[in-house]
Amino acid sequence: MLRSSIFRSAPAALRRAVSLTAVASPKIAAARPLASRLAAPALPARFARFYSADAGLSRDEVQARILEVVKSFDKVTDPSKITSEASFAADLGLDSLDTVEVVMAIEEEFSIEIPDKEADEIKSVGQAIDYILAQSDGMFLFVL
Amino acid sequence: MSATQSPASTKAMTLLLYRSLLRTSRKFSAYNFREYALRRTRDAFRDHMSETDPRAIQEFLTKAENSLSMLKRQTSISQMYKFNEQVVESRPKKGISVV
Repeated sequence: MLRSSIFRSAPAALRRAVSLTAVASPKIAAARPLASRLAAPALPARFARFYSADAGLSRDEVQARILEVVKSFDKVTDPSKITSEASFAADLGLDSLDTVEVVMAIEEEFSIEIPDKEADEIKSVGQAIDYILAQSDGMFLFVL
Repeated sequence: MSATQSPASTKAMTLLLYRSLLRTSRKFSAYNFREYALRRTRDAFRDHMSETDPRAIQEFLTKAENSLSMLKRQTSISQMYKFNEQVVESRPKKGISVV
């Protein structure tokens, strides 16, 4: 008895809820001043990207995350030398074993696995950024 | 793999082994085993970094290959069991968490 009454009332409640939000949301949008809509906070943008299909990462974001990974690598002693053009060996003073580890740390940051052949080619921060950007967007759907 | 290999190909081979060892070590689901395997791999390669004797290099690479196959077996076994997460593992994630 109780169950059937819930079933009967559920569609009506749902309709009410939907019409409420449909009416409410344009009002909220209109009430917000134009400036605040233009300078949208980071949070909604992230959510939008999370759900959209052609998401992808912007170059700036990839660069920032890779620089952060390189910066947190304990063998890099001089943080001022970390730029997007820095070479792992020449500028940051890392040897070939360190380079392997940095590339693996970048893999972990973006939750991907770079094939050995391509990982060997990555010898600078710039190459790492280019590699990440060249990957298909689908890989980053669950990365945050 | 023979002892007459050129230095360049030995280097490539070494880096390949290093990467494979680290990749495989990361797969341990038990924290202590995982950290030990990673640390042991790093330390061993560092220790032998300036090795010049081709025979010694060859021996070391053979040992590394054996370790790799052992790690592959052990990580698959490790993944069959559930281990409780240690306190040191549960650090907060960077950025905004959605889920």
